[in-house]
Amino acid sequence: MTTKHGIGTTHTRSIKNRFARRFLRSLLKMKRSNRLGTGFQSDEEIRKRNTQRIKTAADRSMARVVGPRKIWSRALLFKLRNRARIQVGLRKRCLVSKKKKVLRKEKKVQVISREPNRADNLRKLVPGGDSMDICCLLEETAHYIKCLATQVKVMQSIADLYST
Amino acid sequence: MRPCSREMQGMNSLLNPSSQIPLQDLQNQQIQNSHFDPNLSSNEDFLEQMLSSCSWADPKSPWDLNPPTNLPFPTNNSSSSAKHRDLFNETPSSNSDSNNVGFRNSFDESVILASKLRQHQISCGNGAAVSDAAKMMLPQQLLMAVARGGLSLNDDIDGSLSQGGDGSIQGLFNGFGAGSMNGTDGASNQSMQHFNHPQARLAAVLQGGAMQSPNLGAHGAPATTAVMNQPQASGSNGGAPAQPRQRVRARRGQATDPHSIAERLRRERIAERMKALQELVPNANKTDKASMLDEIIDYVKFLQLQVKVLSMSRLGGAAAVAPLVADMSSEAGGDCIQANDNGGSLARTTNGNQTASTNDNSLTVTEHQVAKMMEEDMGTAMQYLQGKGLCLMPISLATAISTATCHNRTSGIINSHAHLHQSNGEGPTSPSMSVLTVQSMTMGNGGGDGVAKDAASVSKP
Repeated sequence: MTTKHGIGTTHTRSIKNRFARRFLRSLLKMKRSNRLGTGFQSDEEIRKRNTQRIKTAADRSMARVVGPRKIWSRALLFKLRNRARIQVGLRKRCLVSKKKKVLRKEKKVQVISREPNRADNLRKLVPGGDSMDICCLLEETAHYIKCLATQVKVMQSIADLYST
Repeated sequence: MRPCSREMQGMNSLLNPSSQIPLQDLQNQQIQNSHFDPNLSSNEDFLEQMLSSCSWADPKSPWDLNPPTNLPFPTNNSSSSAKHRDLFNETPSSNSDSNNVGFRNSFDESVILASKLRQHQISCGNGAAVSDAAKMMLPQQLLMAVARGGLSLNDDIDGSLSQGGDGSIQGLFNGFGAGSMNGTDGASNQSMQHFNHPQARLAAVLQGGAMQSPNLGAHGAPATTAVMNQPQASGSNGGAPAQPRQRVRARRGQATDPHSIAERLRRERIAERMKALQELVPNANKTDKASMLDEIIDYVKFLQLQVKVLSMSRLGGAAAVAPLVADMSSEAGGDCIQANDNGGSLARTTNGNQTASTNDNSLTVTEHQVAKMMEEDMGTAMQYLQGKGLCLMPISLATAISTATCHNRTSGIINSHAHLHQSNGEGPTSPSMSVLTVQSMTMGNGGGDGVAKDAASVSKP
């Protein structure tokens, strides 16, 4: 996807650069942790975990770049944090300290029961799409598509860099 | 006061048992005294005088005066002005309802006007003035008649005319002696028309409380026509119909309903956003909103898949990509994704040593199927392969491509060739054929292109 003209271009470029920076940083972190950790797991499992990690890193960095300004970024960050917390909780810690934040976020999410709409699939795809009306949903989708496209571009360029 | 007593009795029978306002009497006296001014030259001046002097009470219910207005018609037998005056004197004494004051005044006014005009007519001897006066006078009487009990104007006039001497209107007619007022049906119709116009004007005046002479004099057609219909039809609504019609017009033009405005705004916003999305999403030539939504959904799925694939590919190898793609097939539907699924499953079997997955079975099944079909008919076999997103390709070419692009995977591909050869051993197909997907090549090349919608592309530098 090519960059758009006008204000959108600078906006997209800044997102791209910031995302690239953050993503690379997270990749480096992962690489270091990989080197140190897990020798006992099979290759396939390692690979799976790594892919998952890379994906979450990419999503998280993207959401952080966008910031709490957009509903989908907030929802995405919340989801990732919950997932991480649950995983961590399974191993060691308890979730008591984090409960407050979780509850707050839960209150935010409104349960809106609607008749099956065409946009239901879109709601499933876009993070945090359940609690949006169609107007907001379309707006968020537009921004989400833009950010996803930049994400793909950056990751592709990194992959190209590493493969050749 | 012979007629007074008679009228007294009649009045009492007709009137409500409510007390009368002595004030009314005084007012009447006042009006009578003030209005008997023969110096005025025109009828309009008469009316103006009369109307300006009287105090209009709340005109909201001028039509409530049913009982008192009954008086002039059934009971009035003489045609003298004195009689009218007497009537007037009687009526106020029997009715004290404040609502009726305004109308009572008008009633008084009308009778007084009638008397005045007659006097005027007598003094001037002007037929035209008489006809105008009649126009002025009669409508008022008719208004009262209408207020009385929903009598139609025609009926009133006809009734009064047919009575032949009964009723004040008849008296007025006789008194005026103008050609148009004589008691014939044709004349009555004519007079009806005349009545309606001034009646409309008067009705408007009564309703609005406006006392300017232009209203009573030459009045515009539209208002009169509007009002004309009303009295004829319902008989009790005066000048009210003119207003709601204007209101309806404004509503239609501006759509002032807040709900419709909000709906319109919402629709516009949605349309704006759809347009913005159209620019972002490729293949946005769809005008239909539903198909546009589907397109958007597909594109979002595609982008998310791309991200996943890219995150896989960084770990290197089609092996890494393959399980991902196989998983993807269950989530997303789409031509490229299905093709990728097959490519993924094949790619997995190319690295058969490394990954032991259930898809191996599916691939072997596919291979057996293809072998069987090849025995029967090449065409169906090709179709089957195409349906799965696979193609036949000579091994030499396949090896050439694979070695040109990725060195890592050639061993895997060669393994698959060997595998195929084993399965196809009995088949008539030449051993040089091997089944490969286009996608598996591109998958090995970095993962990104294979996922691209342009699934047919093999090239990768």
